[in-house]
Amino acid sequence: MIKTPTPTIARRTLLGTAAATMLSTGRLARAQSPVTLNMTVWGAAAEEAAFNAAIAKYKTLHPDVTIRMEVNGNAMQAYQQVDTRLAGRQAPDIFRVQYQQVGRYASARAVVDLTQYVDVKDEADFAPAFWQAASYKGKPYAMPHHTDTFALYYNRDMFEKIGVVPPTSLDKSWTWVEFLDIARKLKAAGAPYGFAMSWQNAAFRWLPFLYQHGGQLLSTDLAQSNITSKQAVETIAWTQSWFREGLVPPSTSVKSSEQPQNLFANGTVGMLMAGDWQIPFLSKNMTKYNWGVTYMPRDVAMASDLGGNCFAVSRDSKRPDIAADFVKFLSNPENMHDFVSAAQFLPVRKSLMGVKLPYALRPDAMEVFVAQSATIPSHLVSTVTLPNFSKMNAALTDQLDLAFTSGQDATATAQAIDQQVRAVLAV
Amino acid sequence: MGGLMDGDANHGKAALPGHRARRWAVQRQKLIPYVFIAPNIVLFTTFSFLPLIYAFYISFHDWSLIGDPEWLGIHNYTRLVRDPLFWQSLRNTLVYALSTVPTSMAIGLLLAMALNRRLPGRTFIRSVYFLPLVVSAVATGTIAAWMFNENYGVINAALVQLGLGRISWLSNPAWALPSLAVATLWVRVGFNMVVYLAALQSIPAVYYEAAKIDGASGLSQFRHVTFPLLAPATFLLLILNVIHSFQVFDLVYVMTGGGPGFSTTMVVQYIFKSAFVTSEMGYASAMGVALYLIILVFTAIQWRASRQSESAL
Repeated sequence: MIKTPTPTIARRTLLGTAAATMLSTGRLARAQSPVTLNMTVWGAAAEEAAFNAAIAKYKTLHPDVTIRMEVNGNAMQAYQQVDTRLAGRQAPDIFRVQYQQVGRYASARAVVDLTQYVDVKDEADFAPAFWQAASYKGKPYAMPHHTDTFALYYNRDMFEKIGVVPPTSLDKSWTWVEFLDIARKLKAAGAPYGFAMSWQNAAFRWLPFLYQHGGQLLSTDLAQSNITSKQAVETIAWTQSWFREGLVPPSTSVKSSEQPQNLFANGTVGMLMAGDWQIPFLSKNMTKYNWGVTYMPRDVAMASDLGGNCFAVSRDSKRPDIAADFVKFLSNPENMHDFVSAAQFLPVRKSLMGVKLPYALRPDAMEVFVAQSATIPSHLVSTVTLPNFSKMNAALTDQLDLAFTSGQDATATAQAIDQQVRAVLAV
Repeated sequence: MGGLMDGDANHGKAALPGHRARRWAVQRQKLIPYVFIAPNIVLFTTFSFLPLIYAFYISFHDWSLIGDPEWLGIHNYTRLVRDPLFWQSLRNTLVYALSTVPTSMAIGLLLAMALNRRLPGRTFIRSVYFLPLVVSAVATGTIAAWMFNENYGVINAALVQLGLGRISWLSNPAWALPSLAVATLWVRVGFNMVVYLAALQSIPAVYYEAAKIDGASGLSQFRHVTFPLLAPATFLLLILNVIHSFQVFDLVYVMTGGGPGFSTTMVVQYIFKSAFVTSEMGYASAMGVALYLIILVFTAIQWRASRQSESAL
């Protein structure tokens, strides 16, 4: 576990809060006889190590509780496993879940309403956007654990070669026009491609571009589809132009199995739009080039992606009280501090948000992600946390992939998405 | 086995009058086979037959897997008939079957004939061809995806060395299915080769001697002796390969994820997507039932044809 060499005041304060939280909840959930709980997660090596550290810590406080962690390759595989086990009434007690998926589980009553386990004072420390994202019909069905967002990684050596200095503050972030000009310059200077976007099969990562251009997927009241608007069609056309102009590798479309971080690490692309969790990979594997991080490009507005995860307690848990206690333990100020610092994520507690965190790798880059996370539009958060959003995401994924790889024009793409989004909203 | 039964029969004789003991022994002999197949029947019923019946039941429902099923009637089936993506996935699957089954069988047969001779290191060569089949399809798929990777894959590197351009193997809708087919050949040829090799070795040498005495050339020996005598193996492979093509999933999942667009979305891919991405287990089950019927019809036709050809021989 990562420790700060000299504890700061902020850290001491939150250690105190953590101790108070543990005292208030520890008695309540103490098991009488040995209890084993199963927990399903996914994640990179750094996340797994951080989870193991938290589990070991919980064990020292509650020797009679054993947490057995099962690690999946990615979120998709974890959901497939959790859903199948829910159908068989054998779901793990605790599972990791993205903010986008909480509504799906909560609306099916597959996860436990955590209201009775939550301390109101503690709730007030969570940033409201994330607390709401983990709630369904006003009740918390998951405990926010961390967040992450997208920013723009750049190859420092290539930038020196083309004489470009990246923006150093959010308000100076590049416009769409400036950004594509730099991509073209990189290509002209010999890079095989200008940049790549790390979709990872999640087309909801396209939505920030839509918001940057002044559009949104749904109407303000979330009841109507808004994807055939002028702004939306133009955004589809703009992202499609990356592929048409050869500024991004053709293999980096939405559905592709290509790992764009490999292409950035080996110099195939000069810039990469990706999340903060790529820092450990790049620190280890990008050995031939120096790299830095700057802000996402913007158009009429700034916007970035809502990332991050929570923890939920399944309806199949025989000891939801202990499972809820562990979930709260994972999100307590001290453990959230340790997890985000070690695995390169952003905290979701107000008491940690203004604090300079002892990030294990590239604190300079993490500062950019922290600043960028302030640009996540609240309407985007409301949209992607709708219970049926996974179906809209599937429509976005299929149709944007057709636009990027098969020449489907922007208007036809918008109409096809619109048709499916309407069908989802009609249910 | 015989000894055990004798012992039991003797034991019965001591306890029961003669004719009853004999009847009991006969009954036992009839029962014994069922005891032997019982574990298989139990496992097959639990893990194949009951889920199959359940899938049929679920296909008439709207079910997200994590909630409760709701009765829908035949809605999932009418939706299926009208769903262009289902027909496209069926078409993709047919194209995939047509491009991989005959080719992998022909190459398998050629390899089997080549390796049926006394060659130095032939056991090693046979193992090399068979190896991709025993390795997990996810591993072979990952290796194939690396080989076909357009940015750092070995195939494009070779093309560049030869002075040719790079090809967007997995991200161009026109190339993605052929790339999958080539990767499939790599996996399936070894299996076809082994089956053909076993069949070749069961052809008595006297037929070839007789053909040679009659002055038959190598080619006409193949046409009139080898190929007709391989017919049962050919039918077996045809059925197995077609069923395999209709059920292909892992290789596609790893290499292309069904894209670009829907160009490599196979039926099972679409079933998986409906079940686990959009949480429409009822619709996924309806497609599963449709796929079951297609494979059933095909198997029945092939089975009849192979029985007729066997009786013709």
